Amino acid sequence: MTADGNAPHADKGTPHEIVRELFSRFGESPFVLQNTVDRVPTLWVDQSRLGEVLRYLKNTISRPFKMLYDLTAVDERLRKNRFGLPAADFTVVYQLLSIERNADIRLKVALTGDYPSLPSIVGIYQNANWYEREVWDLFGITFNGHPNLQRIMLPRTWQGHPLRKEYPARATEFDPFALTVAKQDMEQEALRFNPEEWGMKRGTAEEDFMFLNLGPNHPSAHGAFRLVLQLDGEEIVDCVPDIGYHHRGAEKMGERQSWHTFIPYTDRIDYLGGVMNNLPYILAVEKLAGIEVPDRVKTIRIMLCEFFRITSHLLYYGTYCQDVGAMSPVFFMFVDRQKAYDVIEAITGFRMHPAWFRIGGVAHDLPQGWDRLVRDFVEYLPKRLDEYQKAALENSILKMRSRGVAKYNTADALEWGVTGPGLRATGSDFDLRKARPYSGYENFDFEVPTATGGDVYDRCVVRVEEMRQSIRIIKQCLENMPAGPYKADHPLTCPPPKERTLQDIETLITHFLGVSWGPVMPAGESSQMIEATKGINSYHLISDGSTMSYRTHIRTPSFAHLQQIPSVIKGAMIPDLIAYIASIDFVMADVDR
Amino acid sequence: MEYTLTRIDTDGPRYPQEQREPVRDPMEDQMHRSIFLGKLEDMLKGTVNWGRKNSIWPYNFGLSCCYVEMATAFTPTHDLARFGSEVIRASPRQADVIVIAGTCFQKMAPVVQRLYEQMLEPKWVISMGSCANSGGMYDIYSVVQGVDKFLPVDVYIPGCPPRPEAFLQGLMLLQDAIGKERRPLSWVIGDQGVYKANMPSQRDKHREERMAVTKLRTPDSV
Ligand code: SF4
Repeated sequence: MTADGNAPHADKGTPHEIVRELFSRFGESPFVLQNTVDRVPTLWVDQSRLGEVLRYLKNTISRPFKMLYDLTAVDERLRKNRFGLPAADFTVVYQLLSIERNADIRLKVALTGDYPSLPSIVGIYQNANWYEREVWDLFGITFNGHPNLQRIMLPRTWQGHPLRKEYPARATEFDPFALTVAKQDMEQEALRFNPEEWGMKRGTAEEDFMFLNLGPNHPSAHGAFRLVLQLDGEEIVDCVPDIGYHHRGAEKMGERQSWHTFIPYTDRIDYLGGVMNNLPYILAVEKLAGIEVPDRVKTIRIMLCEFFRITSHLLYYGTYCQDVGAMSPVFFMFVDRQKAYDVIEAITGFRMHPAWFRIGGVAHDLPQGWDRLVRDFVEYLPKRLDEYQKAALENSILKMRSRGVAKYNTADALEWGVTGPGLRATGSDFDLRKARPYSGYENFDFEVPTATGGDVYDRCVVRVEEMRQSIRIIKQCLENMPAGPYKADHPLTCPPPKERTLQDIETLITHFLGVSWGPVMPAGESSQMIEATKGINSYHLISDGSTMSYRTHIRTPSFAHLQQIPSVIKGAMIPDLIAYIASIDFVMADVDR
Repeated sequence: MEYTLTRIDTDGPRYPQEQREPVRDPMEDQMHRSIFLGKLEDMLKGTVNWGRKNSIWPYNFGLSCCYVEMATAFTPTHDLARFGSEVIRASPRQADVIVIAGTCFQKMAPVVQRLYEQMLEPKWVISMGSCANSGGMYDIYSVVQGVDKFLPVDVYIPGCPPRPEAFLQGLMLLQDAIGKERRPLSWVIGDQGVYKANMPSQRDKHREERMAVTKLRTPDSV
C-alpha cells in the first residue's frame, strides 16, 4: 500500500531499488510506502516486524546498510495533513545509510497511546543506545530491553518530556528559575556517579578501581562535557560519557519560530560552522517549497561554507596541537582565523553567526571589492599551512604522541555512525560533496582527502588537507562567480521580492503576510544532508502546511562521535584520551542541540 | 558616588547568598577625611586595588559559542596580556574572575554555582553575551534566563556573541570598578562588608552620541 505523505507536487516515480528488494523478501503487506519530498525511500512497518527487517538490512542483504544514521520520533497527535499515513499518536523514525549503495532508507513505526513503548534495537545497532535514550527523554516513549534507559539531555531530576506537543516551549511559561540551597544539594546529589547503574564493578579481588570525574568543565573537554573514567592505575578500564549540559532545545524552537526566523538558530548548532549550518536547513525548506535557486546563489553559498570549514578546521588544528602538548600553533592559527573572519565579516556583516542564507537566496549580494579580499586570503593561507606542516604535523614529538593512538577502522566507524573526517581517516572516501553533490558541488574540482591509519594523527592530517581543498574550491568560486540575482524569483522566497508590491494590492497583501507571518510551506516531509565541518549534518522537516514547522529534527555528527568514545578508548591511558578527544573535533552545541 | 554594600549571608535560602544595601562611599566619612589614618587607609586601598585590577586572572571556563570569541581575545591579534589577564587558570581556586561565556543551562547551573563557590575572594563575575545576560534568543525550557538568577554579576557584555573587542571593553570596565572598591584590608581589621561603586550604565552614558549618528556605512562595498 502506498500513502501519500505529501502535498500533490511530490515525486511519485518508480519505487526505489531497496524498496523492491524488501518487497520481494517480505512481501508488500507488512509495509506502507510513503512518498516524501526528499525522495528518501520511506516505509512504515509494524513494530513486531521491525527487528527482522533491520537485521535483514544490516546483515543479510547484499551491499548492506551498516550505519544507523539517525533515530528520532514525531509527536503526531496534532498533525492535520497526514494524507492517508497509518494512524499514529507517535512515530519512531529510523534512518539507515549504506555507503556501498550510497543510499538511505527510512523506516517508521506507528505507535498509539499517550506513553507508548516498542522494542529497543540496541542489540542490532549498538549506537541506537543514545538515540533511544534521547527519544525517551524528550518524548516519553519507552524502549523495552534497552540496557539503561536514562535521561540523556535533561537533568535526572527533570519532570516531563519537552518535545511532546502539550509541553510548553518557553522558559517564561514556567516559574522563574531560582537556585535554592536545597535544590543545589539535590542536583549535586543527582550528579553523583553510580558505577553499578552502568554495570561497572568497583574493583576486582586484587584491586579497587578509581572513578575519575572529568568535566562537565575541564580545560580539555572542549565544552560542557562530562566523562566518568573507571581507572586501574592510569589505565582506562571503561568510561561513561555524560552529555546534555548544552541542550538548548533547538528542535522545540523549530516548532515555535517561523520558517524564516529559525535560520539564526541553525548557526548556533555547530557554532564553529557559521552559515554552513544554514545550508541543510535552507535546502530542506527549498525542497518543500519547490524553489530552484540561481547559480550565483549556489556559488556564494559554497564559497562561504568553505570559508567556515577553514575557520573551524583551523580552530581544531590549533587546539589539537595544544592538547597533545604544542603550545604555540594555536596562537598562529587564531591569527589566521581572524583574517578569515575579516573576509566573512566584510561579506556578511557578522563574524561567527551571520545567519546569512535565506529561503531562496542569500541576504544580500556580494559587496563590491569582495574578490580582492577573498583573493588575498587564498594567497595568504597556503603559505601558513606549509609552515604549520613543518612546525606541527612533521614535528617528531607530536607524531610520536599521536600516531597509533585511539585507532578505529571503517567498520567500527560505520557501526557507531561516524562520518566526516573521522570516517575518512580510516580509508573510506565518503564525502557527500562528491557522493551526493548538493548546491552545485558537482561543478567544482577538488579531491577528497583520506588517510588509512584511523588514528588521532590521521584525523588531523585529513583535516589539514581538507583546508587546502577548501581553498581550491574558494579559488574556483572566485574565478567563476556567476552573474545574476541573489534571490530566486518564487513566491515563497523569503523575504519576498519587493519590486512588484507597489503595483497592485494582491502582491502587496502577499508580501505583507510573507513578511509579518512568514511564508506558508506546503505540507510534506523533507530533509537534506550536507558534509558539514564535523561530519554529516542534516535537517528533517515536517510541514503541516503552516508558517511554522510541525517537527524539526536535527541530526548532528558530534552526537554520534561522542557515543563512540568508550569503545575506542578502553585500555588506553588518560593522556591518550585527551589526545583522542582533541582529535574528534566536536562542540557541545552540535551534540546536545 | 553611590556604593552598594554586600555582606555574605550563609543562612540565605537561595543563591546568591548575600545581602545588599545602597550606601555612600565609606571613605567620604568626616573621620576618614580629616584623620591621618583615614588617608593612610585610602592610600592602602588604592594600592591594593591597583594591584588587583591589573592582574585579574580569568578562570578557563566556557559554556558555548561566546567562549570562542573570549578565547579569541587571548590570542595575538587582541592580546589580553596588555591588561594583565592572560594568565588563564584551569582551577577555580586560582582564578579571580569567572566569565560566564555562553548559555547557562538548568542542568549546568548547579555546576556553575559549585565552581563559583570554589573561587576565593576577592572574586568577580562577568556575564558575556545575551544568553548569559538574559537567556538571549533562547527563551526555552532548558535555559536559565540570565546567569544573574543565581550569581552576582559585576559586568554585562552585550552581543551574540560579543566581539573580542567588546570582551576587552568589559574587562576594562571591571578594572575601573575594582579600582573603586572598598574591601576589608584584612579579615581582622574593620568592617567585613564589600563596598562596590555603582558604575554608570554605558547605555545612558553613550546615548546622545549614538543617537546623533545619522549616516551609516552602506553594505554595498567592503
Ligand atoms: S549569546 Fe549568542 S553567541 Fe553567545 S552563547 Fe548565546 S547564542 Fe551563543
